[in-house]
Amino acid sequence: MSSKTTFIGAVEIGTSKIIALVGEYTGREVVIIGCGECSARGVIKGSVVDYRAATECTQAALEIAERDANERIDHVFLAQTGGHLDGFYNEATVNVKAADNMIEADDILRVCELAKSKELPLGRMVVHNIRRPFRVDGRLVPTSPEHLVGQKLEVGYWTVHGQEQRLADNIHVIRGFNLEVRELVISSLASGHMVTSMEERQNGVLAIDIGAGTTDYVLYRNGAPHTTGVVAVGGAHFTNDLSIGLRLTEVQAEKLKLRFGRALVQSRDRNEKVWLDGNFSIGDRQFPRQAIETITAARAWELLEVVRKRLGQSFAPESCAGGVVLTGGGAKLPALAECAAQVFSAPARLGEAPAYISENLRDPGFHTALGTLYYGVNALSERSLAGRRKGTFLRNVSRLFAST
Amino acid sequence: MSRDTHALPEARTWREIPQEVGPRAMSGEGRRRLVMRAMRFTMGLLAIALVGLAAWGAFSVLRENPPALPLAARADRVRSLVLATDGVLDQKWLARTLAIPADATLMGLDLGKLRERVMGDPQVSSAAIVRNFPGTVSVSISERSPVARLMAQSGSGAPQMLLVARDGEAFAGTGYDPAMVSSLPWIDGVRLTRTRGRLAPIEGMKAVADLLATAKLEADNLYRQWQVVSLAHLSSDGEIEVLTKDGMKVTFGASEDYLRQIGRLDLLVDESNDPTRPLRTVNLALGSQVAVSYGTAAPMLGEPAAGSLPEPAKPAGAAPDFTIHIDSHREL
Repeated sequence: MSSKTTFIGAVEIGTSKIIALVGEYTGREVVIIGCGECSARGVIKGSVVDYRAATECTQAALEIAERDANERIDHVFLAQTGGHLDGFYNEATVNVKAADNMIEADDILRVCELAKSKELPLGRMVVHNIRRPFRVDGRLVPTSPEHLVGQKLEVGYWTVHGQEQRLADNIHVIRGFNLEVRELVISSLASGHMVTSMEERQNGVLAIDIGAGTTDYVLYRNGAPHTTGVVAVGGAHFTNDLSIGLRLTEVQAEKLKLRFGRALVQSRDRNEKVWLDGNFSIGDRQFPRQAIETITAARAWELLEVVRKRLGQSFAPESCAGGVVLTGGGAKLPALAECAAQVFSAPARLGEAPAYISENLRDPGFHTALGTLYYGVNALSERSLAGRRKGTFLRNVSRLFAST
Repeated sequence: MSRDTHALPEARTWREIPQEVGPRAMSGEGRRRLVMRAMRFTMGLLAIALVGLAAWGAFSVLRENPPALPLAARADRVRSLVLATDGVLDQKWLARTLAIPADATLMGLDLGKLRERVMGDPQVSSAAIVRNFPGTVSVSISERSPVARLMAQSGSGAPQMLLVARDGEAFAGTGYDPAMVSSLPWIDGVRLTRTRGRLAPIEGMKAVADLLATAKLEADNLYRQWQVVSLAHLSSDGEIEVLTKDGMKVTFGASEDYLRQIGRLDLLVDESNDPTRPLRTVNLALGSQVAVSYGTAAPMLGEPAAGSLPEPAKPAGAAPDFTIHIDSHREL
């Protein structure tokens, strides 16, 4: 085994379950060698509310993953979700400094710093600064604008920020296992990275990850994340609606949702009944199928409508050729893709993991954890590459001359 | 615009959240991992300390008790010396040269020093010495072959005959057959210099060796008549002069083909086989021309010798009339 090999844990602390994956990272590629899963306790809508319970569950998942991998995790990439996450867009423009209007590294650095320099309210912290493509005199530049000629250089950042205490709580859950959190990846970016292709992201695509407590979404345009967001509504709310509407316990409602729930009403017969358990046990009851479908469909429609409203002008079907991709455990609700297609007036489909992911991890419930691992590795390698570039001798010498 | 002028307040990022968690806030497994990490760190430190201690101990032992180390590698005494050579040097010479004490052990020998001693004899061109356990020292040498000889004198000491090899090295010549030595021509017109107790190689010997080898191989009858080979004009005129036993002086051009020159000489000697007009000088270094001078006949038995006649030849192996003085070159 190479000395450069590190074992990275990707952890998603979800409302219903906690998933931990172990990836063997050789510096070039990641191979998933272990997986651990545990029912979540002490987590509501993606936020830790009972530190001890959440710690126990997370650590149980990590221990299972380590046993499965037969290796010890070195550090962790943590998926982050929750209603406390928010985002805003800020852009900046600079005049190109050089007399010949050739854009230099210093111009790029300056405009990026300006675009990121927006102050946050007290108690908020940046989780991601997602850069949108540069513009040179209004012309879109998908890569670096260095050495291009123009008078004005523009760039914008979509900044995702969250509440400091909530972020710290999640991190401390991992630190309780004496593991360092190396990367924090918001769930929408993680799952979006997993279920959309580069081409789709280039053409525009909306990825919606419906979890148990939250729904995360990310809209891609021009190959980069354009807008992200979290709606504090998830699959658990479908269950809750059924529980209230049909006067059931949560366990019974969950059972009915999984067996008979639909995102679009299909049943036309008001008198069609379905059994709660269907095993002729004492206490088994019958419920109208149409009522179940109506309740779940109403909630699904409402949830997708909320996402659409949040996106506002950012989303336009004509600028989103990739359509809508649904993922997460909640996306398994039958007819959800058709429902999304109607709500967004765009083609919709259920997201699938890439072909290189093994069969046992292809369930939509694993997409966030998988994406956290792969997105985190990409971010880590990009940061280390940037660090190496920054430290090169020639660059330092050129800066020295530039400043004189 | 410099970097300082547009320094902007950066928003706080999640990386500023301190990740230090006290052991109390950790789970049992977390604490176990913490302890394991601390133990690994401590073990690492201990290992480094142990290695350092061992190195210091070894250094101390070596410093305070130097012979302690060879004791561990002691071998048997040297029982025999084995010589492998392509020349004439023998076992006695080897024993005399190496001068290994009777109680020396095989591992106690300094092979580098022994090799220096062997190479100190200029007759040896290369040497390799190896230990063969349990008690044998094997010496493989390659010797120089003499092509000529000279009579050298150092200061006011007695003249000493030295043999000269093809590479110009002069050496005493141990173990050679006297008949072979007496058949070698003498060398004259050279300068001998001693540097660091050793004679410097004679320059131009390669050309002379080629001439002698060609003559010996192609015209042995002529070669056997050659008594003195002079290098006096080799460096200046590119000429090698040979004085034969019957007083003839032959000049060879060092840049000409030796075989052709010897062929001409052989023809001349055969053609001028007139005892009344013996050849006195033959100059073969003139390209296609050959300059020849003749002398008068030697006086008949009982007649007085004429002053212009060459001196009678000396018997083979006799010392020449000339000696070459050795200049001592002092190294600064």
